[in-house]
This record gives sequence, C-alpha cells and structure tokens, in this order.
Amino acid sequence: MTVQIARLALLAVSFLSLAAATGHAQEARWIVGMSQCNLGEPWRVQMNADIRKAAEEHPEIDVLFKDAQNDNLRQRAHIEEFVRQGVDLIIVSPKEAAPLTRPVRDAYRKGIPVIVLDRRVLEEDYTCFIGADNRKIGRAAGRWIAETLGGKGRVVELKGLMTSTPGQDRHTGFREGIRESEIQIIFEADMKWLEPNARKEMESALARFEKIDLVYAHNDPAAHGAYLAARAAGREKEMMFVGIDALPHEGRMYVQQGILAASFEYPTGGMEAIRTALAILTGKEVPKEITLPSRVFTKENIDKGGEILP
Amino acid sequence: MTRAVLSLLLVLVVGLIFNADGTFLKWETHRDMLRQVSVFGILSCGVTLVIISGGIDLSVGSILGLSAVLFSLFTIHLGWSAPAAIAGTILAGAACGMLSGGIIARFRMQPFIATLAMMVFARGVAKLVSGGQKISTAVQQPDGSYLYVEVPPIFDLIGARIVDDNLAVVSLILLTCILFCWVLLARTDQGRHLYAIGGNEEAARFAGIPVKRAKILAYGLSGLFCAIGGIAQAAQELQGDPEAGSTYELTAIAMVVIGGTSLRGGQGTIWLTALGVLIIGYLEKILSINAVGEETRLMLTGIIIVLAVLFQKGES
Repeated sequence: MTVQIARLALLAVSFLSLAAATGHAQEARWIVGMSQCNLGEPWRVQMNADIRKAAEEHPEIDVLFKDAQNDNLRQRAHIEEFVRQGVDLIIVSPKEAAPLTRPVRDAYRKGIPVIVLDRRVLEEDYTCFIGADNRKIGRAAGRWIAETLGGKGRVVELKGLMTSTPGQDRHTGFREGIRESEIQIIFEADMKWLEPNARKEMESALARFEKIDLVYAHNDPAAHGAYLAARAAGREKEMMFVGIDALPHEGRMYVQQGILAASFEYPTGGMEAIRTALAILTGKEVPKEITLPSRVFTKENIDKGGEILP
Repeated sequence: MTRAVLSLLLVLVVGLIFNADGTFLKWETHRDMLRQVSVFGILSCGVTLVIISGGIDLSVGSILGLSAVLFSLFTIHLGWSAPAAIAGTILAGAACGMLSGGIIARFRMQPFIATLAMMVFARGVAKLVSGGQKISTAVQQPDGSYLYVEVPPIFDLIGARIVDDNLAVVSLILLTCILFCWVLLARTDQGRHLYAIGGNEEAARFAGIPVKRAKILAYGLSGLFCAIGGIAQAAQELQGDPEAGSTYELTAIAMVVIGGTSLRGGQGTIWLTALGVLIIGYLEKILSINAVGEETRLMLTGIIIVLAVLFQKGES
C-alpha cells in the first residue's frame, strides 16, 4: 500500500515537473528530438513544417525542434542534450558531415535510434539515412527539357554553388539528361543559390544572346530571378523557365502562376522521417537508406499534385 | 560585481524552474555549457582588454575564421608539427590584431572603423587561403579526386575532455586565458596603462604613458586570443571553415558588456567578463534544452540584453 502511494506521488511529481518545465503533451508516448542545421532556408523551414504536420497525426509522438543556426558546434550540443534528456529517437539534418559524425555515433551507440535527413554523416553509425538523389532529379529535368524543346534549342544554365554537392549533382545529372539531344548550353553561371545573383547573371545572358529558348536554374528562386530579369527586358514571353525544389509556397506557386514551365521537387523527407521514426519505435525493421521519390510539377498536372518521376 | 553575480544567480534560478525534465540538474549539462562558451569566452578575453582601453574590436570573428583555416591548413594539408602550426597560427592572429592596433594608434582612426575594415579583410584572406573551401581531412588532389587523411592527433587532444571526462580541454584553455588577462590587468604596468588610456587618453599621454604601444598591445593580444579561439574551433569541428566565427564578435562583445564592463572604457575587470560569459552561456543552454522556438529565442535575447544593461546601469 505505502509502496503504491509512494509510486503515485512520484508519478504525480514527475508529471508536474514535466508540465511545468516544458508544457509538453503528456499523452505522448515517445519524445523525438529534431535538430535542424538552420532555418534560414525556406526548404528547411518546409522540412520542419512537414515533420510537424506528420507528427500531428500521431499523438503518441511529440517532437522537440531545435535550430542550430548554421553552427556545427551548436548542433553537436543539440544531439548531446537530446541524449541527456533521454529522448526516444533523434532526427538530425546535419550542417556538415565531419563535425557531426562523432556525436551521432555516440548517441547511436548509446542505443538511441538516429535518423539522418538530407545531408550525410561519415561512417555508418546511424539507424537510417533519408535523402533524395539530386543527380537523378537533374537527369529528369534534362530529359524533360530535351523533350519539351523538341530535341534542340538554346539553353541558359544557372548553377547553384558549384563547390556544394547538390550544385554539382544537379549539373552533372542535367548534362546526362540532355546528352542524346541537340540542346546547346549557350551560357552558364554560378549564382550560388541566390535569386539576386541569378538575376544579375541572367541580365548578362540577355544582353549577349538574341535568342534564348529556356532557362534551367538549379533552384526555383534563381529561375524566378531569371524570369524577373527577362521581364524587365520585355523578353519573358520568348523563353521558358525551369527550376528545382518545388516548395509549396515557392516553385509550385510560380508554376501555378505560369512563371515557371516546370519545377522538379526536391523532397524534404519530413513525412518519411516521421513514418520511419514510428516504424523504428514500434520495433519494425527499417532499411539503412531510403531514397525519396521526386515529382515534377507543370501547369497541366499541378492541380493533381504533380507527377512522380520514374 | 555584485550585480553581475546577481544576474547569474537569476539566470540559474530560471534554469532550475525550466529544467527540461531535470536536464538542467545534470552535471553534464553544465560541463557542456562550459565547453560551448569556451571559444566565445576566449574571444571576449581579448575584447575586454580592447574595451578597457576605450576601443572596440569587431574583427574577432573573422580573425577566428582565418586562424581556423590556417591551423587546419598547416596541420592537415602541409603536415606541420602541432607546435609549429600553433605558433604559426598565433603569429598570424596577433599580426592581424597588431595591424588594426597600429592603424588605430598611428593614424588615430576610430577603432570601430579600423576593426570593421579588418573584419572584412581577414574574412577575405580566410577565403583566399582556403580557396573558398573548408579545409578538412578530405584533401583535393591536383586531378580533382579526394584523398582522405586521418585527423591530426592535436585536433583530438584539444577537442577532448579530461579528468575522467569531466572537463573539456577548450574550457581549460579559456580558464588559462582568463588568468592571463587577470595578471595582465591587475598586476602589470601594461594593464594599468590600458585603464589609464581608456579613462582619459590625453591625460595618459601627458602622464608619459606610451599610448601607441599600449594600444598595439591590446589589439595584438585580442588577435592572439582570436588565434587561440580559432585553433579551438577547428579542433572541435575537425576542419577549418572560412566562414567560421561570423557574428561571433557580437556575442563576445555582449559577454563583456553584460558582465558590466562599460563600452566607454577605463573600467571593468576580466572577472566581470567571466560572469558575462557564464550568464550568456547559461541563457543559451536554458533556451536550448527547453527547445524554445527560433522566434521566441530571438525576441527573448533582445529583451534580455536590454534588461541586463539597464540592470547594470543602476549600479554606476
């Protein structure tokens, strides 16, 4: 009897402290810690939103979000805090591989499942990696462009930061996709993922070339920047604009408005992360690596939710 | 001093209330907080010297980034021995600081402008010597392929924890820097000169204090501490990032000011800065373990800075 009362009291105290400390939903059975490397990019804000939305459908999961503000050491601290807090699972979208490999490994070896999202860590000490294949997406964009232009045409390529792997892969894949066609790349420039840079580079391209059939940009903001430059020159009707990422409030909206001819989705993996987390927490086997499927959005298919790429 | 101690106690009480399921009560949380603030704390040591002399140093974050790049370059790519790499990095950092100090002293340029220029310049040098890339254990070969090398042992040594995993080496480095500044400020002529210049530069000059030399010393030491911070940063990140340390200058200055050292110069101690380092470190840790959202965190940080400085004002 006394033991029972003591247990109840202990339970009540722990509940109270839990409520007072953080105000978490107490019915949650599992706490998931999520460390995002930075929330300065819309795509990463979307990733968090996707995770939040997916988690809301599962009251047994409660997600703690942390933002590392683009700082490796802060993100390392996040993972260590999660371990100390005794979360049931960690999701991490790392800023960089090298500095975060060890904290991820330490957490994993302590028996906490870790899902690595989008960017990789070195070695294999994690539960599951979820990410999309930029090269495949670039290749699909290349094929789509070749087909849409009827196998030939003059194309401007506005590249993302070429020292970053997404930039390199979106470039290489695209070149593979158009290899069989007679598409000519008449101008290419590194816009470092930024819309103002893309606009400037596009102004140079417009000044140099009388005829441009299409602009392929490695992200949607750059495609939009190119469109703005062409519009300022009164030439936006002459050419098509194609981008990558297809965020709901960005690329997809531009397609809806008819600014972009197509946008290729680079999925955030937020939904899959929660689905995988649930599978791990309920004791199911999950694959070591999940490659996310991607969709293409065009004027024709956008109301139907896009079309899955083969 | 009492106010800074009170502020720290207040922050600790907040931590006890919002303890995130008892996480704040665990020793490891405090150990990791100390490790996290160490790099910022090392920077704020140098900033303290400069602020006491009546100046300001905006270049500390950039010199830190440059130092992190140089240290990684020396050790990982060029294969220098650890002492040589450390000496080389410290020389480079101190040289940057002395250059700002020299310009300020010789041309009587405002410290804000001179160190702002150094902030931009040093970041440029960091990008130049690194080729815009992170200097990591993946070494690019002339043919474009990557060669993966081992992390140099000095990185693991500085990034490690000692005393049965209870004390981070970087925290120990911070403590050493604080003690060094204490001796300098409280026990040497050079320290007294800094207070005198910060209090009244003209009077100090008439009193025969070598103003130029003292200023070059203050900024040079600030650069030296940046180099130490850069080495600590690189060792913990296992790479030299040319972007490392951007906006760190704001945190370092905030740590000095929240401790109670006035931006007007001529007063303050390194112990106040140490308290400021702990106050900001604990605030960050409390917000972090409670997973406070970005919006709230930014707004709270703004409010706390204003409140803390108002609170300090009441003292003087």
